Amino acid sequence: MSAIVHVEDFSFKYRDTKRRAVKHVSFDVEEGSCFAIIGANGSGKSTLCNALVGLIPHYFVGARAGRILIDGVDVAESTIAELSNTIGLVFQNPFNQLSYTAGTVAEELAYGLGNHGVARELMIERVEAVAKLMRIDHILDKNPLELSGGQVQRVAFGSTFIMEPRVLVLDECTTQLDPLGASEIFDIVKQLNADGVTVIMVDHDMERVAQYADTVMVLDRGSVAAIGAPYEVFADPELESHGVQPPDYVPLTRALGLPIEIREEPTIAAVKEVLA
Amino acid sequence: MRIELKGLEHAYSKTDKALDGVDLVLEGSEPVAIIGQNGAGKTTLVKHFNGILRPTGGSVEINGVDINTRSTAEWSREVGYVFQNPDDQLFLESVRKEFEFGPRQIGMDADTIARRVNEVAELTGLSKKLDVHPFDLTPTEKKFCTIGAVIMMDPAAVIFDEPTCGQDRSGNARLKTIIERLRGQGKLCITISHDMKFVTANFSRVIVMCHGTVLLDGSVNEVFAQTDILRRSFITPPPITRVAQGAGLKETVFTVPAFINAITKERNHHG
Repeated sequence: MSAIVHVEDFSFKYRDTKRRAVKHVSFDVEEGSCFAIIGANGSGKSTLCNALVGLIPHYFVGARAGRILIDGVDVAESTIAELSNTIGLVFQNPFNQLSYTAGTVAEELAYGLGNHGVARELMIERVEAVAKLMRIDHILDKNPLELSGGQVQRVAFGSTFIMEPRVLVLDECTTQLDPLGASEIFDIVKQLNADGVTVIMVDHDMERVAQYADTVMVLDRGSVAAIGAPYEVFADPELESHGVQPPDYVPLTRALGLPIEIREEPTIAAVKEVLA
Repeated sequence: MRIELKGLEHAYSKTDKALDGVDLVLEGSEPVAIIGQNGAGKTTLVKHFNGILRPTGGSVEINGVDINTRSTAEWSREVGYVFQNPDDQLFLESVRKEFEFGPRQIGMDADTIARRVNEVAELTGLSKKLDVHPFDLTPTEKKFCTIGAVIMMDPAAVIFDEPTCGQDRSGNARLKTIIERLRGQGKLCITISHDMKFVTANFSRVIVMCHGTVLLDGSVNEVFAQTDILRRSFITPPPITRVAQGAGLKETVFTVPAFINAITKERNHHG
């Protein structure tokens, strides 16, 4: 496997702010892997997401240093439109992702395809397939502005995923969804990942991160505080000093004097053994 | 504060009943959590508590007064509603102006407003952001700005619609402090949340909604012991509870210490 995302000593300070939002961040994401970025609010996670898809420097203005390569292409020397062929971002606030020009959910889903000049027949086919997968096929004729938060989040995810990006960046993309809706979305993410799509996820749900990620990076006030396999990162007692709590299975197995577990099923099995 | 619903119904269209006969009494200052999957009717329900929505069947009474006898603006003095999406609520040029707007509309005097601005800013963590434009706040700060703007009105009841969305550990800790502070002041806090860790840690009474009706209403222990009903209403208990239930512990537990207690009891019982 090779790195499809290469971040090298990247720093960024938004205009009109005093502090850098990210500082000297370096990491690689292997093609086909699931890479999680975690950290307290304000640690630089969303800034990094914006930088990966080119919103920094092409939309957000500020002082930047270092470089980011997506499939070998320098983000600063490309455009958001060109980058969107390879990498797509699902925004934290789905309402920020709507085009506000589409009158229906179907038009919203087709918006990016239209901009890329995809033929009408293929566009309709893809809209129908993605709508079915995202369980929004019953609201294709509705105005996106009349939907619930959960429905808009599904539309936002679908409008990114429909572009078939090789790298999918998910910035807390299920905050408006109930736990079942969120797990439905992550079932789709898991399938995409199994099909070779690289996933970069930002999430506050550490149980979910432990379940899906191959690699976890911890950001603390804009800097990389830790990076490694989920077990390595979550079992480290230092983690909480970076404003992040591990999955609940960690303090539980630790308190029971058992080998540390980071996922539900092995924890249940370990507790059953204690009770046996 | 007493909110009483009798056979409450709400239909957005002739074929779509979002609430289908809800009987409920909320009173006192014990914080209440309302849970349920998207579309269960949670937001529709709470929007009846200060008249943002009006019943299409049944009734809503606030302290014995029919909701339909007053305007939403009048009810908002008594029942504050913090919107799920902060962008639906914020419209002024600074946090300070957002905080001052509501109290001015209800005729609160300037000295009280000034004092409350400082108190509420401290409570919501926005003391250093009072002169910042709300749109320049982070999503979490925006949420606390909307919460602060509602608390500024000093209502007897506050409704939080999904306050835990996008919150990290410190954000949830601040929410906990706010709810405890309001409870200490005798206010009734009603909170919609999908975050079951937050719900079990902060609320003694939990109401489960499903398809526009109340499915369960009881103490947090009673509600989360109903595993089959919760599964049918697509509610996932928090991780510690799931492990306890998966491993066959009889007690419903939410925290590591409670889990250790329960497992010790069971081992002693078997031993």
